[in-house]
Amino acid sequence: METAAQAGGRRAGALANILGRYFIQWLLVLAVIVLGLLNQNFRQPANLANILLQASFAGIGAAGMTLLIICGAFDLSVAGLLGLCGVALAEVLPAAGVVPAIIATLALGAVLGVANGLVVTKARIPAFIATLGMMNIYLALAFIWTNAQVIPVLNKDFQGLGFGTLLGVPIAFLVMIVVYAVAYLVLNYTTYGRYIRAVGSNEIASRVAGLPVDRVRVFAFVMVGVFTALAGILLTGMLSSANAIMATGFELNVIAVVVVGGTSLAGGQGTLFGSFTGALFFTVINNSLNMFGVAAYWQYVAVGLIIIFALGIEALRRRFMGVGRG
Amino acid sequence: MQSTVTTDAAASTVRKLPFVIRFFQFFESLGVLAMLLIVIVVASVIAPGFFTSTNLTNLVITAAITAVTGFGMTLAIAMKGFDLSVGSVEALTAIIASSLLPLVNIPLTIVGTLIAGLFIGVINGLVISKLRVPAFVATLGMMGIARGVALIYTNGQSVLLVGYNDYAALNTGKLLGIPVPFVIALVTLAVFYVLLQQTPFGRHVCAVGGNEQAAIASGLRVDTITMAVFGLVGATAALSGVMLSSKLLIVDGTLGVGFELQCIAISVLGGTSLAGGSGNMPGTLVAALLLAAISSALNILNVEAFYQYLALGLLLIFALVLDTLRRSIITGVMTRGR
Repeated sequence: METAAQAGGRRAGALANILGRYFIQWLLVLAVIVLGLLNQNFRQPANLANILLQASFAGIGAAGMTLLIICGAFDLSVAGLLGLCGVALAEVLPAAGVVPAIIATLALGAVLGVANGLVVTKARIPAFIATLGMMNIYLALAFIWTNAQVIPVLNKDFQGLGFGTLLGVPIAFLVMIVVYAVAYLVLNYTTYGRYIRAVGSNEIASRVAGLPVDRVRVFAFVMVGVFTALAGILLTGMLSSANAIMATGFELNVIAVVVVGGTSLAGGQGTLFGSFTGALFFTVINNSLNMFGVAAYWQYVAVGLIIIFALGIEALRRRFMGVGRG
Repeated sequence: MQSTVTTDAAASTVRKLPFVIRFFQFFESLGVLAMLLIVIVVASVIAPGFFTSTNLTNLVITAAITAVTGFGMTLAIAMKGFDLSVGSVEALTAIIASSLLPLVNIPLTIVGTLIAGLFIGVINGLVISKLRVPAFVATLGMMGIARGVALIYTNGQSVLLVGYNDYAALNTGKLLGIPVPFVIALVTLAVFYVLLQQTPFGRHVCAVGGNEQAAIASGLRVDTITMAVFGLVGATAALSGVMLSSKLLIVDGTLGVGFELQCIAISVLGGTSLAGGSGNMPGTLVAALLLAAISSALNILNVEAFYQYLALGLLLIFALVLDTLRRSIITGVMTRGR
């Protein structure tokens, strides 16, 4: 016979599980409700649309980064990669037209992703430091190409990509939804996608089992490259210009989004839904700091603290639940 | 120059040193020195004004500021850690120094700034060891926090240091004909070299970097060692902050962006392996000089600043490829031998 206390305990356990698993989602809902009640500027449709727009750049980058972190690697070069892709787009757009320019930029993103992947897998350099070096190289190439100038984008059709809305929802946010759907399908329904989890959770076992570990890693880097290029395309549209340092600090934002979303840095497991929410969460925090007139510099502090707390809580939770260090 | 934990590999080197390994040991200590000499010779020939005492003094001062934090970074890498927050900490401590200067005398300013850096570093160490946050993310977070605090405190403005001639002499002064910053770098080198090579603490750091589980199992207090190492990294970043503020005499919250990359680069170029377990302090200094010489030569040749990004990136990748090559060859020789 089950006592009421046991049943209550079990129900509390289930509740804690739901709260724990969807912690960031609940936090986002709570933040939006509280801010909406407290601040009438926050709940204006224009501001909410702005939040969706702002969230989509780091959000789209974070979709690729989630796959890569699940695969057990990082990419710190995304700020340089995005700058180089944005510059490339702005340079070829007048001559090539919108669609070819976008395709060319995505292809460039894929090529740079391959370059990152090869440096990490073939030269066997830890991803973290190899991509730090690659970031410098991409930044330099973008600077050299533009001679450190800002390249304006005057094409009206293209600007629509950054500014435009569909039924009141920013196009960039709709693109972000599609990106997450694609990333989800790749991760769960393609061979390479399923290999990503295997390689991230145990590289040696994957090798022994005969998985093409290096090619899976390169594939994950390509996903990052393509999605980051896409974020660069949208950002170039929104800014109506491109320059090498248009995305300074992007890598920090993207990794923060992924980590706060609940993806483990140890690799092997992660959640795309969490990254999606994480992107919105950070934008809501930054937006509300602006709303309440907090100096922009506090946002550095806020982002830093959120990263450390998110990971600290995660690690403590694991320790108390008796799970070993990740 | 290498301090290595006694592993099987190290034990067998005592018996017999295969040629390849002797070559790499030689290369580790002298490879970067050879590169430095080549750069100096080439630059002296193609860049008029490179081999003048003014330029060499500037070069040595630039190298000294990077090298000081590089020593701390080398210690962290020996423990298989990283500190990405050093650039922000350098900026924040430069600002702390500039606001202490009007209040107290110069020695107290320096001591106060170093303590502030030590404190920030210990917080890094606490987050890493007690909260079990990976060093990479913990220091990434601290990078944002320290940068934000630096900008908030100065309100995004620059702080001018006018009328502190004695403080400026920390940069312009000479001791026995050697620029004071370089003297500071040499003293720091001596301290960190002895710390890493000659003390139990240094051996423990290498033990943790070589095999953390084994270090825990053999009863080392890994948490305390982690906090001490990151505290020291913070202190070296603060020393760089003091040196930088005495050089520029104008500080703001945007100083030191990308500094962490330079520090990691000179550590690796200097022959410290990212695999952890060892550190090459003199190599770090030589690599700092190499980096400063390259950027000085590019400046004189009027090469745009952004080519220096390219040079740093390529140099870093090159050094890392060498590191990988060295490790795989050594592993190959070692495993073939038995």
